[in-house]
Amino acid sequence: MKYLTLVLKSALRSKRRTALTIISVALAVFLFASLRAVLDGFNAGAEASSSTRIVTIRSTSLIFSMPTSHAETIRAVPGVRDLTWANWFGGIYKDQQHSFANFAIEPESYLRVYPEILLTPDERQAFLADRTGCIVGDGLARTNGFRVGDKVTLKVGIPTYGTQDYDFTIRGIYRAGSGAVDNQSMMFHWKYADERSVVKGQLGWIVAQIASPEQEPQIAGTIDEKFANSPYETKTDTEKQFASSFVSMFGNLNLLLGSIAIAVVIATLFVAGNTMAMSVRERTTEIAVMRTLGFPGGTIFGLIAVEALLMSIVGGAVGVVLARVVVNPHVIPSGGFIPEVSVNDLNVAIGLALSAFIGIVAGLIPATLASRLKIVDALRRVA
Amino acid sequence: MGLVSAYNLRSMIVRKATAAMTAGGIAMVVAVFVMTLAIAQGFRATLVASGSPGNAIVLRKGATSETVSAVLRTDVPILESLPQVARGADGRALASPELVVIISLPRVTDNQPANVPVRGVGLKAFDLRDRLTFVEGRRFAPGTREINVGRLATGRFKGLSLGSDVRFGGNTWKVVGVFTADDAAFESEVWGDVDLMQPAFQRSDYQSMTVKLADPSMFDSFKAAVEGDPRLMLVPQREQDYYAEQSRPVTTLISVFGTFVTLILSIGAMAGAMNTMYAAVAYRTREIGTLRALGFGRLRIVSAFLAESIVLAFFGGLAGCILALPVHGLSTGTTNFSSFSEVAFKFRITPPLLVGGVIFAMAMGAVGGLLPAIRAARIPVARALREI
Repeated sequence: MKYLTLVLKSALRSKRRTALTIISVALAVFLFASLRAVLDGFNAGAEASSSTRIVTIRSTSLIFSMPTSHAETIRAVPGVRDLTWANWFGGIYKDQQHSFANFAIEPESYLRVYPEILLTPDERQAFLADRTGCIVGDGLARTNGFRVGDKVTLKVGIPTYGTQDYDFTIRGIYRAGSGAVDNQSMMFHWKYADERSVVKGQLGWIVAQIASPEQEPQIAGTIDEKFANSPYETKTDTEKQFASSFVSMFGNLNLLLGSIAIAVVIATLFVAGNTMAMSVRERTTEIAVMRTLGFPGGTIFGLIAVEALLMSIVGGAVGVVLARVVVNPHVIPSGGFIPEVSVNDLNVAIGLALSAFIGIVAGLIPATLASRLKIVDALRRVA
Repeated sequence: MGLVSAYNLRSMIVRKATAAMTAGGIAMVVAVFVMTLAIAQGFRATLVASGSPGNAIVLRKGATSETVSAVLRTDVPILESLPQVARGADGRALASPELVVIISLPRVTDNQPANVPVRGVGLKAFDLRDRLTFVEGRRFAPGTREINVGRLATGRFKGLSLGSDVRFGGNTWKVVGVFTADDAAFESEVWGDVDLMQPAFQRSDYQSMTVKLADPSMFDSFKAAVEGDPRLMLVPQREQDYYAEQSRPVTTLISVFGTFVTLILSIGAMAGAMNTMYAAVAYRTREIGTLRALGFGRLRIVSAFLAESIVLAFFGGLAGCILALPVHGLSTGTTNFSSFSEVAFKFRITPPLLVGGVIFAMAMGAVGGLLPAIRAARIPVARALREI
């Protein structure tokens, strides 16, 4: 502890250099924490998914629908407690750029199966009572300035829903109780869309609530068997698999963001390591004098290493604070397909750990060189 | 100028460790820059390559992509009879009514279900896409449940190799040929006879109609003829324009993301360059004093140090480009949200992109080196000479 002043003094010896190094570490940690937050945002759906919900889709692909009779058949499968369904409506708000996810849902059962959709009792009542009513996530409401009572018009995106525009009234703004539900979507009565559909009684996917997670493989198997060799074969999976298949649609995000993160760390190591090396070189004579006065090599090593660590951690702290302030839903609107992102405590901790790592690695070589300095040579040197 | 430049270059070599680390920082930034933009370019190139200049694609009015379009059965003979449509040797119109549906197949890499586009095509489809060539097997025989598979799709999705049976749409289909198409999006698709695809997927109409124009310059008159016909609720587009538009959302997303990341990262690298150059100036205070005493003007000192920083960054940029080069040609995939299906594409590093990367590096060097260079020029001669 008694050396702290000395470390601080050396760190502030060249204020500009220290500041520049802190900035570069701060930006690296900022980028790293933000990228992790984005990745977490994408994976949130799969992570928080319920293990007692299973999703049945057409085996060909999600874009094909199945008849309502499928729901009744699934309801009769032992172990299924409750079920609901939804359709991807694909309606267009204003134009492609402003569009957002919108689903037609069977309202009562959907809100029952997804208790994570949080609505006030009044909003819930109002939504259920209005056939052309809809509910929107609070994230979506914020981006578009939606209020309860507003009218929203969607153009038809998928030809099976007819040609006429659909008018809705917002009856509620829901919050997401967990990552299993996103707050960027709009949902409305399935009946409203069905009335105008070219082909009636079509369901996009069916979500069944089962008693316990262990029964999943068996129930899923039974469901798919019932529809095998029918024109509407199905594929049933856990909600987690259903959600992660959406994430994987973006391609190998983990690899892409991971390689960027590695490049960020290496670039910062170069900058921070270089700074420490320069600072040590500048102080060669000083260090030699300290050695002559009797400071052991180990102490010199410690002084330099701690200086590097200190600089780097200060940068890391600045970086995570910056990430916390900038990367949150109030600043960055994440419209459409990309989930809402914010930097959580884990990302903060990882960011700080990363800055410590950068500090240690960057200080290692200069500190070693300084502690091994030959006093005679160093004192003779004119720098 | 010559003397000062050589002097700066030699100083850089003397301080090679520091110089290499600074260049290394810049290299990483340029590598990220080139790689992310290579994704955007690759994706765009793949879709743009799908369109030929002499073809037009006809979609329902207001449809933004094939998936949400519809072309009625009765529209087909009307379109085929238009004089602007080219004819084959047999005298029949070079036109292909098509149906695109999406099926789910597990990906080879992670076994996750992916959305694979299946295209039902008319008999003339292979004459319309003349860049399509078979690497294995043969064309599917019309009227049979045979299919052809794009080369990128065979590697990416399970069960699509030559000779294997694939189950979808309530039927079993046999893969009889694998084709390439100059890296176009078709290479991610499965092709079969449209007349058999329709019943398999319970469709009675088509989604799009692609025609070869008798001459590319006839597009405008073709468009006028289609739009002027009261029986048709259709709009033709040049095939190339259509595919370029399809690639836009994903390309924009990746470019914005890549630019954002590299800009932030470049600030860090510039801070590094600035540190290095300040140190370089500080070390050489006496030398700079000497140069000034010999009569070198301030402007020459500024430009010499600026040049040193830019050259350093230039080498960093070159290294970054070399680091990024191995990803060129690697194939990957993402979902094209315009069609909701997966498109395989290759990272595409083009000479302009590399030049862009190097210029970006030099800009970082210039910004990072400017303040230190000005400081070098401002050092009072007398004090500089006195310094030890």
